[in-house]
Amino acid sequence: MTKYLIKRICYLVLTLFIVASVTFFMMKLMPGTPYTNQEKLSADQLRIMNEQYGLNKPILEQYWIYIVGLLHGDFGTSFQFNNQPVLGLIMSRLAPSLQIGAQAMILGSGLGILLGAVAAIRKNTWVDGVATFFSILGISIPNFVLAVLLQFFLAFKLQMFPIALWDGFSSSILPTLALAVAPLANTARFMRTEMVDVLSSDYIELAKAKGNSRWQTVAKHALRNSMIPVVTIIGPMAVNLMTGSLVVENIFSIPGIGEQFVKSIMTNDYPTIMGLTIFYSFLLMVIILVVDILYGIIDPRIRLSEKGAN
Amino acid sequence: MRREKSLVLGVTTLAITVLLAACGSSGSKEASTDTVTFTTSDVISTMDSALNTNVIGAQALTDTMEGLYRYEGKTVKPAIATKVVKPTNNGLTYTIPLRKDAKWSNGKALTASDFVYAWQRVVNPKVGSQYAYIYEGIKNATDITAGKKAVDTLGIEAKDAHTLVITLDKSIPYFSQLMTSSTFFPVYKAAVEKAGKAYGTNSKTLVFNGPYKLSNWNGPDSSWTEVKNTNYWNAKDVKVKNLKYQVVKDASTALNLFQSNKVDRTAISGDTAKQMKNDPDYSTLPKSATFYMQLNQDKNPIFKNAKIRQAISMTINRKELVSQVLGDGSKPIASVTPKDMSFDPTTKKDFTSELSTEGTKNATYNPKEATKLWKEGLAELGQTGKTFDYTMVGDDTDTSKKQSEYLQNTLEKYLPGLKVTLANVPFKTRLTRSDSGDFDMVVSAWSADFPDPITFLDLFVTGGDNNNGHWSNTEYDAQIKASKTTNANNPTARWQNLLKAQDIMNTESGVIPLYQSGVAYLTNANVKGLDYGPSGSYNNVSLYLKK
Repeated sequence: MTKYLIKRICYLVLTLFIVASVTFFMMKLMPGTPYTNQEKLSADQLRIMNEQYGLNKPILEQYWIYIVGLLHGDFGTSFQFNNQPVLGLIMSRLAPSLQIGAQAMILGSGLGILLGAVAAIRKNTWVDGVATFFSILGISIPNFVLAVLLQFFLAFKLQMFPIALWDGFSSSILPTLALAVAPLANTARFMRTEMVDVLSSDYIELAKAKGNSRWQTVAKHALRNSMIPVVTIIGPMAVNLMTGSLVVENIFSIPGIGEQFVKSIMTNDYPTIMGLTIFYSFLLMVIILVVDILYGIIDPRIRLSEKGAN
Repeated sequence: MRREKSLVLGVTTLAITVLLAACGSSGSKEASTDTVTFTTSDVISTMDSALNTNVIGAQALTDTMEGLYRYEGKTVKPAIATKVVKPTNNGLTYTIPLRKDAKWSNGKALTASDFVYAWQRVVNPKVGSQYAYIYEGIKNATDITAGKKAVDTLGIEAKDAHTLVITLDKSIPYFSQLMTSSTFFPVYKAAVEKAGKAYGTNSKTLVFNGPYKLSNWNGPDSSWTEVKNTNYWNAKDVKVKNLKYQVVKDASTALNLFQSNKVDRTAISGDTAKQMKNDPDYSTLPKSATFYMQLNQDKNPIFKNAKIRQAISMTINRKELVSQVLGDGSKPIASVTPKDMSFDPTTKKDFTSELSTEGTKNATYNPKEATKLWKEGLAELGQTGKTFDYTMVGDDTDTSKKQSEYLQNTLEKYLPGLKVTLANVPFKTRLTRSDSGDFDMVVSAWSADFPDPITFLDLFVTGGDNNNGHWSNTEYDAQIKASKTTNANNPTARWQNLLKAQDIMNTESGVIPLYQSGVAYLTNANVKGLDYGPSGSYNNVSLYLKK
């Protein structure tokens, strides 16, 4: 297992390096400068500014300087937030996005698994019908529409929650609900399909034949085996959620990271673009790694390359 | 199996917590009567007056810092200076007395050397200010920024602790207006030196000299509070204890917050603004910014014909554009220079009200005349019956897209043979395409750096960096030149130059004005004394709450 982990971490670092390099060169192809009042600067002034920020140097040299800085843990300073270190910028914006994302993930996938399992067990009954109806609804309604509806009815009309603004746990509830519906619906669908399959397999029949009750069979044997496809989709879903949903964050005026990323691209804020890309890639890869390890725990048949590859 | 159980348990716990929290938060907090809460469209980028380039930062700086002068209503009033000074030495020297009771928020005295230090910092190429160009005209500023001269050669000197002497290379007719701008504010030297590059990135690095102090603010925070500065020389006139700013980007969220009394004043846009038009709390505010269309004369010689340009201008129903498409408080405009920004030095009348109707009529909707001029123009050029396939470049925001569609529709409707293709691109791409001439028509915008018509008119001289359409008129160039040279020290004659220049551009439809951008607001009826100055910031000294 240790060997496997070390190997994966080496790949992770290599991938990060490639991502950073590709992003760096692609980013430099974007038109415009990182200066916020670019249109007001004359060609001469632009030249002076470029010298000041080292943007007049050949691209390869700029790349080298950036990579060397990166190896020293220096992500540079932002252009849109003058002189603000990029790392600090990411960290201060990350917490709200992570919190809402994690809450939505736990709530959504948790309820989704339950709903899917119940629907599968009660296949072709009204319970299944209702569950399927809600999962289709959940997938069809965009989260921002739901966000606006939740805000209007629960917060504005009924005053049960804060309308918006980031102020403690209560202000995270509505965004969490809005974001949780899609993962809920997705997990439920996958869970149901897989569970229906599993429930008709031989070992379940055997378990039943041994005299286990229906619920015992489900809990002990079916649930675990039905989780495999669910775990697969949970990985990317988690990254999506935790890196922030721009629109939902805007609706609830949450100082999250999603908007920062879009804004850094729109304003050519080179160091922030790089910092966030590297950070997102890192997060995605870590989650993929965790998912791979989870597979092994859930299903002993796929106890990763430890035996297979070596 | 234990894992699944704990998962179910966790979800249940979360659900219960959600319900409990919901009940707990139902008693809404009432805003303190000493606080006025505003929504704002974005975060503060920096509180370093040398580096700030946007209105949000400029507002926070105007609240918490103070320069030589401050706008009260439409008038420039002395602030840290004791009077608004007239220049001597043929407009090249300003000797400005400073008030002796001015202090920094740490209690230390504010002296002339604080200005000297701040100004030298802005032009210092090492600081990398994107606004250093606004110092152009102050002795040696341009050379210092270019790295050709030492920073201490800048034309500013502390004659004594309370007298500032400013020397210019050429006279700056709008010098007093310029002094209200945050780029000319003083800074506390010890604070800047202590913080180094971090100066202005959080409130701990700052020392203030204005009506308010920023407290507990950190870089990209999405809300911030300004508390009254008791060390401000005019603290007795500051009535509101706290100003609170909340970043809210979604118009319907802003509306919900306003209607629940969570915020006292908020900007609204789009459909929300249209929907609230008849509300008693609704008002609009014109900004010193205009949108206009430029026609690429190099690429398409037909745009060199004045009748063609006039025709394009006359097809546009600006009233309909602002009310149906924008609906946000923007106003039709007949010149690139906006209304409510600059005033005749003798008659005190608005610049735009003194323009000739011969020019402004070209920006009045007249489709019949437009079609006629278009046909005449094409006949003059020998292009009758030809078709023209043009690309109109614009921004890619929702509003800009709608606006482009509107313009496309109206141009194609009244100008036979014209086919407009839309290219709505990100802002930086629009700038790049404008600079490189990669467009046929482009919708551009400009906002005033300081409240004087020259900030708009200077753009369109022959060879101007932002004259993307390359419209050129020798008489226009001559008027602009005269305003800066022969008449620089004669406000009345200079004003006539500027009026004439604008008239020429209007008559020629050299650039096609569309509208002056505006913002629609909802304001709590208790909030009084809102004083939005020509410089684009509020003077919150006069703000008060009706009890």
